[in-house]
Amino acid sequence: MTIESRSTRSRLSRVGPGFGLLLLLFFGMFSASAAGASDTNAGDYSIIASVQNQTLVDGATSREPVANVSVTITTVDGKLIGTATTDDKGLCTIAVPSRDDYVITLDVKSLPEGLQLIDANKSQISITKDLFTTNTKRVTFFTGESGIAGATQTERVLQRLADGIRLGLIIAMCSVGLSLVFGATGLTNFAHGEMVTFGGLVAFFFNVTLEIPILISGPVVILLGGLFGLLFNWGIFARLTKRGIGLISQLVVTVGLSIMLRNIYLFQFGGRTKQLASFSKQTNLELGPIGITPRDLTTAILGVIILVSVALFLQRSRLGKAIRAVSDNVQLASATGIDTRKVIRVVWFAGGALAATGGIFRGLDEQVSFSMGSDLLFLMFAGITLGGLGSAFGALIGGFSIGIFVEMAAIFVPSELKVAPALFILIVVLIVRPQGILGKSQRVG
Amino acid sequence: MDWNQILQNTIRAAVGVDAIYFAIAALGLNVQFGYTGLVNFGQAAFMACGSYGLGVTAQYFGIGLWWGIPLGILFVIVLALIVGIPTLRLRADYLAIVTIATAEIVRLFVRSVRFNKIFGGTDGISNFSREYRALNPFEPGKTYGFVPFRFSGYALFSILVGWTLVAIFSFFVWQLMRSPWGRVLKGIREDEDAVRSLGKNVYVYKMQSLIIGGIIGMFAGMVLALDRGTVQPDNYSRDVTFYVLTALVLGGLAKVSGSVVGSMLFWVIFVFSDNFLRELTRGGPLRIGDFTVIQSTQVGAVNYMFVGIGLMLLMSFRPQGIFGNRREMALDGR
Repeated sequence: MTIESRSTRSRLSRVGPGFGLLLLLFFGMFSASAAGASDTNAGDYSIIASVQNQTLVDGATSREPVANVSVTITTVDGKLIGTATTDDKGLCTIAVPSRDDYVITLDVKSLPEGLQLIDANKSQISITKDLFTTNTKRVTFFTGESGIAGATQTERVLQRLADGIRLGLIIAMCSVGLSLVFGATGLTNFAHGEMVTFGGLVAFFFNVTLEIPILISGPVVILLGGLFGLLFNWGIFARLTKRGIGLISQLVVTVGLSIMLRNIYLFQFGGRTKQLASFSKQTNLELGPIGITPRDLTTAILGVIILVSVALFLQRSRLGKAIRAVSDNVQLASATGIDTRKVIRVVWFAGGALAATGGIFRGLDEQVSFSMGSDLLFLMFAGITLGGLGSAFGALIGGFSIGIFVEMAAIFVPSELKVAPALFILIVVLIVRPQGILGKSQRVG
Repeated sequence: MDWNQILQNTIRAAVGVDAIYFAIAALGLNVQFGYTGLVNFGQAAFMACGSYGLGVTAQYFGIGLWWGIPLGILFVIVLALIVGIPTLRLRADYLAIVTIATAEIVRLFVRSVRFNKIFGGTDGISNFSREYRALNPFEPGKTYGFVPFRFSGYALFSILVGWTLVAIFSFFVWQLMRSPWGRVLKGIREDEDAVRSLGKNVYVYKMQSLIIGGIIGMFAGMVLALDRGTVQPDNYSRDVTFYVLTALVLGGLAKVSGSVVGSMLFWVIFVFSDNFLRELTRGGPLRIGDFTVIQSTQVGAVNYMFVGIGLMLLMSFRPQGIFGNRREMALDGR
């Protein structure tokens, strides 16, 4: 910042404070987590492989170590590093020469009789050097009968549907803001995924580092997410619009913002995925054929409540109507006396808050990582395109459908490619009905 | 702090293979984004077309290496049709959304276990470049040149081939943009409707621009693959496109020299920052009092953070790049 500000001081005085504050905010934040990650000096590296047998006892999963299983570690090129067999605790430790990429292979033939890997394709686990945030890296192989593998086709479909509803709720929540901002300002925000990550990481900071339960810290995180959205607008985009910078240029700025934020997250948080503390131990509730944890049930119900209130707010409240009017036609809304700049601020706040909420939910559902939001960005785009760019209801419906679609498609396509069908939807929608389900039939070219 | 080494690495970065493949990729992106105004955020996928075009000749088809070029062009055309047909009639941001999505899916496909036999999965493909290496007139193990431009015979060959390609494509793009065809592209960027009213089929011109830019980008992927001797799926991640874009904006959009100078400058700055920070943290984390400022594992993140900040500042304050002409930059879209 200091280097650049010398050459462009005069113009920076108008935009500079925004950029500066954004940066400052981040370096101040999660300082506790930065100190915690400083144990990565050079030293001896090793990989601990753990083999666990999962069984279902009275509806609860219990895990038992499996001994005498042979595990091999090779480099990515196939060079042998070492072999070991697991002890009574199901563990074996293999030293590796450096922090690098490795492949850990479990010898399926060495498993005790009657046991098999839950996921038959997972006899190999690849780790990349980014995963070594400490000197040891632990990987776990699970054996036993998994809930999904042993299920019938109907049960599998229902389970997928339940997963899809959860993912759909999260995507709908995250993408409303993206669509609202687009409607009000015309900006496609490629840094929206980073707003989602913000929610997840700040929740992690409160929940794990400061040990405040998520139900108490959650609302604070959501509020901070909203302020973060406001900061985007106040610090950058309102100023750029004022200076007459075109929307395509602003779009490229959002790309730069996304790269910057993601790497700040990586800097502070590290490359590993981490678990939120609340409800980390859960037993499955059996609702008919579907297994769902109380945590997932709670988040799903909360998600529905949040989305319904968003919809009611947009439909009924004065402000909600103003938002819809602005996203419909800015000039017309402005002419009827709506303060469009206020609406834009509200939209950024609401978008940031909802994205942060989505981030918390995603963090509870899966795990927290520096790229958790940008990994979802593509699904959010698919969702809002399906629903109609700029329409808030469209984002709710589109996001929800995409979530369900992606999980259901995973029945037919390999799980590593399960987002590919979303691209298919995206392309078909653009060819057949480019304005989306709820968009107006107008020329978008 | 070994300033001698840092400076040598920095100067060498200006002519190294990284700057070369960035320059070629940026030339392609310039045709699309700079001249036509197409927001292609999937240039990495077009680069992957080139690399995998070469790679699959050995991995799957078992045919000669140079068949990879027509194969790569075929991949590029298929990819450009997939992203172009639904979006080129629509507003500019739709192309951005679809290209970024497609690039990510392409990467997932080539690294998937399902298509392991064709694309080599996460390990990628190696052992395909024998025919290329056989052409090398230099001794691979020997060191050539003078300080700071000292290269192994192997690297020198890549650099020579690379800069030749940069020169050919620079000339090609320069001539293309002076032609009537190129003027139509610039017209589309400035005012699509005006061009349409002159009876030009804007859609077809945009598609041609996308394909030509993609084919140039494909050669960037080939240079990278031949130099490294391997094709790795993670070399074509989404962010690669954005780094190329940053280099392009740095040098100036809609200018042939901008792509080349921008890429050289990008790598000079990047390598300097990288080397400097690594030297700084080599003896352990840099601390002020009890506060850890930066440690060696964080250097990568800081470098890319600078790239992001640089892209934001350039686009906000100097969208015409360091040497560009502001009048050429009328990207307002909508």
